[in-house]
Amino acid sequence: MTLDQSRTAVLGRALRFAGLRPIAESLGTIVLGLIAGAGLMLIFGSNPIAAYSALFTGAFGTVADALETLAFATPLMLTALTFAVGVRAGLFNIGAEGQMFMGAIGATFVAGLIPLPAGIHLVAATGAGLLAGGAWALLPALLKVWRGVHEVISTIMANWIALFLATYLAVNFLSEPGRAERTTPALETARYPVLNEDASLTAVFFVAITFCVLVYFYLWGTRAGYGIRLAGENPGAARYAGVSARRAIFLSFIIGGFAAGLAGASQIIGRPPAWSLYATMGNVVTIGFDGIGVALVGRNHPIGGIAAAILFGALQQGGRLMEYQAGVASDLVRAINGLIVITLAVPEIWSLLRRRRAR
Amino acid sequence: MTPRVEMRGIHKVYPDGTIALRGVDLLLGRGEIVGLLGENGAGKTTLMKILSGLLRPTRGDILVDGRPHQFQNPGDALAAGIGMVYQIFALVPPYTVLENIILGREAAGVLAGVRLEASRAQVLRLIEQTGLSVPLDVPVESLPIGVQQRVEILKTLYRGTSVLILDEPTSALTPPEVSDLFAFLEGMRKGGNSIVFITHKLREVLEISDRIVVLRGGQVTGEAPTAGATPAQLAEMMVGRAVVPRVTRSPKAAGEPVLAVSDLQVANDQGSPAVKGVSFDVRAGEIFGIAGVEGNGQSELVQALTGLRPHTGGSITLNGAPVIHLNPLDLYRRGVGHVPEDKARFGLALNFDLAENSILGRQEEPEFVGALGRLNWTRILGYVRGLIERFHVVAPGVRTPVRSLSGGNQQRLLVGRELSKRPVLIVAMHPTRGLDVASTVYIRQLLVQIRDEGKGVLLVSADLDEVLELSDRIAVMYEGAFLGVGAAGELSREQIGLMMGGVAHVGEAP
Amino acid sequence: MRRSLRFLFYLLGAGIVLILWGALQWLGLQPISLLEAGLLAMTPLALAAVGECINEKAGVVNIGLEGILLISAVMGVWTAETFQSGTVGLIGGAVTGAIIGLFLGALSVYGKADQIIAGIGLNVFALGFVPFLLVNLWAFPGIHLFPADLGVPRIITPLGQISPVTIGAIVLAILAHLLLHRTVLGFRITAIGEKPEAADVGGVRVDLLRVFTSTLGGALAGIGGAFLPLGWFGGVTDEISAGRGFIALACVVFAGLEPMLALAAALLFGFTEGFSFAVAVTPGVKERIPFYFVSMLPYVTTLVVVALVIGRRRFPSTVGRPYARE
Repeated sequence: MTLDQSRTAVLGRALRFAGLRPIAESLGTIVLGLIAGAGLMLIFGSNPIAAYSALFTGAFGTVADALETLAFATPLMLTALTFAVGVRAGLFNIGAEGQMFMGAIGATFVAGLIPLPAGIHLVAATGAGLLAGGAWALLPALLKVWRGVHEVISTIMANWIALFLATYLAVNFLSEPGRAERTTPALETARYPVLNEDASLTAVFFVAITFCVLVYFYLWGTRAGYGIRLAGENPGAARYAGVSARRAIFLSFIIGGFAAGLAGASQIIGRPPAWSLYATMGNVVTIGFDGIGVALVGRNHPIGGIAAAILFGALQQGGRLMEYQAGVASDLVRAINGLIVITLAVPEIWSLLRRRRAR
Repeated sequence: MTPRVEMRGIHKVYPDGTIALRGVDLLLGRGEIVGLLGENGAGKTTLMKILSGLLRPTRGDILVDGRPHQFQNPGDALAAGIGMVYQIFALVPPYTVLENIILGREAAGVLAGVRLEASRAQVLRLIEQTGLSVPLDVPVESLPIGVQQRVEILKTLYRGTSVLILDEPTSALTPPEVSDLFAFLEGMRKGGNSIVFITHKLREVLEISDRIVVLRGGQVTGEAPTAGATPAQLAEMMVGRAVVPRVTRSPKAAGEPVLAVSDLQVANDQGSPAVKGVSFDVRAGEIFGIAGVEGNGQSELVQALTGLRPHTGGSITLNGAPVIHLNPLDLYRRGVGHVPEDKARFGLALNFDLAENSILGRQEEPEFVGALGRLNWTRILGYVRGLIERFHVVAPGVRTPVRSLSGGNQQRLLVGRELSKRPVLIVAMHPTRGLDVASTVYIRQLLVQIRDEGKGVLLVSADLDEVLELSDRIAVMYEGAFLGVGAAGELSREQIGLMMGGVAHVGEAP
Repeated sequence: MRRSLRFLFYLLGAGIVLILWGALQWLGLQPISLLEAGLLAMTPLALAAVGECINEKAGVVNIGLEGILLISAVMGVWTAETFQSGTVGLIGGAVTGAIIGLFLGALSVYGKADQIIAGIGLNVFALGFVPFLLVNLWAFPGIHLFPADLGVPRIITPLGQISPVTIGAIVLAILAHLLLHRTVLGFRITAIGEKPEAADVGGVRVDLLRVFTSTLGGALAGIGGAFLPLGWFGGVTDEISAGRGFIALACVVFAGLEPMLALAAALLFGFTEGFSFAVAVTPGVKERIPFYFVSMLPYVTTLVVVALVIGRRRFPSTVGRPYARE
């Protein structure tokens, strides 16, 4: 048997499990992250068992809890998409934070200050969020295409600028009269219907899922999407196929910006009881960064991102009960998120672990 | 007398399960040149990388002068006197020759200054001893490949190696440079040093070695003293059957020019001229072969002809119509198919599956695209299955990543895809490099078939045998220009060899 | 190339200083306090940037500088309180940074990790871990102040107060320059950044060197992180780094991996930060310029500088890519 044949044989066997392997890897890294989190808890004298049981109960204990998990998942699947679409095009778009802030501002503005007839208002507010996010994403896109600026630096700078800009706008132009700590709530006509009175889940959840599914069909089912993925996979082959690298960069950033903008809008016009943006940006911060971990666990795939978002949403929702009942700061959930990202940075992490055991 | 080096029962299994070596034994005596022969992928380089300390064997022993050694790093092997000159040079491009030679043995403590001048005397002595002259204070990246190789050798010898391993050292050399190298190796042998010469070229190994070891599929399939060995014998040990079958080509009258190039000038990535005024044409029903050592402008020429690089002067005419700054997609529409020199870099997206690779370059065509830019997967799947069948591509399935295919199958898919574009001209660069014998023969037969069907083929290859076997007309490229153009049979192998080295201007004016 | 780059930088820097000086006079601000604030702001940037210069010269990129700054800030204060000394706190920060640098380095070298994702992961981790630490170490969420006498004292000079850590940062930048350009170690580091194969076959331990530079870079960033509360703010919050890690990365990119130029870039960005602080606290001025826009200044400046000056810089060809032997 030649070397070639033996190689194909081994790979053939491995490929039969190919579909399951990435999922197993993702779940494995979550377990690793939880174990590491337990370690941190032990160092500081907390009880991991109590904490994690509170976590799981809080996430899925009652119907209301489960729906709340989905409410947390809604913006996460979108900010995950921002990062994922970037990676597919060969970029690191970590600007979901800033793009989300601007999306929230856009939605707040239209939803709270511009009265429009019933159906149109909701669509307009959603669209404003989308467009604002996309516009903010144009900045790093242009810098990359025109000046070759690495997007890791430009998106982070844009995030900070957006934070201050959004806060400035929220405090000075959009704030609710008499209450400085938040913006004018969205008018009735610009609110997504609530699905259950006990949870803050609204129909924007379905909009988010639809958006993810549409992006999936775009990337894998159209020639433009094929071009984007090709540019990210092999720039040389993309040139060979006549794909424009610039177009791929712009499209990726804009789609990512739309996704993050929609996420921002979802926190305003899709999240009771506040229906508005806090001046501290408290209901939109860190969701952009959390999305990175979600994207990676979802293997940078729009549909995988939905599943991963539900998992991470569960962690966030459960984290609240964990803090209340077991006294463990819910920030630990974010720390676990970071550890998961680090673990997923190592390729073939699964085979590495398997080899360890074999020795 | 104990052999200088003994490798016993060397196994190498990679983490993904690939078995590179299955129990190889190798002996190396003092003052001996051993030729390590085998096809691409037989395991020769892997075996020697283990000996030089770059890789660790899964199983097996290495003995130097009878004493066992475990090499964890190249430094350990160097300490035992073993050094390797790699096929892709391990030189730091912006560093000077002197800096490259002393890297790793700077004769100073880690926090001390680099003692260039103190080492210079030693290096000069080494140059005198070996006769390998190199300019010491020039950045290595500006030197021609032949000189770079000398730097590589000096770098290894500077560490006091007496066992020298060379991996395919002649692949980038002109015939005169090869003679110089062989003379040097002879000198080394007489001095009592041991040399392992890795190659897949039968003629070379018969010329230079004392003993030949043949590897196939990770095992030793034959061993013989060079005196008395025949090419047929060796080829059989190498590939398991008699010599690589030659592809036959019946003479054919060529038609009208499909491609006409006039005074073409192309710049390289650094902006300097790489193609300096080349003129030729490729006619319908002929294979026009460009021979030459890599790095003489062939890549830039091919890129200019296939839309991957703009040309800075001259003109390109395709089927009578001028080509001005068209991108690859436009050129496909005009009938140019391209088999690139580096399929991993340009021709295929390795992590995409076969179906997605089959439409690379064809993804805009109405046949595959529907409303709103939707890809018609039903049609695409049917098309790729047809390709697989027609071109005998061995693959686990249509949805498997192309990366998992062997090199030969990847190339078949690529060539099949290019042919399905119904081109009038196929530009093929190094089309069979690194492929197994069966695929090599198949691809070459395909090229002849295309030519018989009345298309034009531009073949660019560093494999002189391939060019001689397939081409109807041959040009030799050297430093950006054609040194000679002639019909097959007009130019002798020796003449071409000389022209590849820049000597003599022979043959008809284009 | 290098000469024109330096000239361009001096021009840019001089221009910005002139504009700022004019703005100061017009606004009625004190140049001395601006100098003080600028040097303070420069210090953490310079420390992180110089360390990262060495790291990237070896071909490793650490996007997690921001996370190191955050975690070292907290651990620095904790060390200072445990040993009742600000200086020991700085050492605690250095050790924290070194440990994180070592971890990331090992992950990149032996785990062949994607360095950018690993760095992003570290930053996300820090975003969660630091608030967690604040609550668990001091039972108070979000912020922790410590007695002023624990901080690193400043030296009084005629030109205002200057922190010894600032001087230390300048000295370290000079040492880093000497290391890279005048020692065998620097010779090898540059080699493995350009072509690790060449060094590997020459017997240089590429893996060990890269882990070393990552650890060293982490240690320097760790001092910078600990400096933020101990040498400057007097307290630690969960947002104390405020993007400085990324500004340091911009310094490194801008400087073409040269420590002295990175120091100069840090000075430039430090001044913009100092400017925004000065504006925010000077009466008569802070009403005229909205706080939010002034706060944006360091980030906008970074973007502008990076966009204008970057162009196609020559980087070691292997930055960010793991080295594998087969």
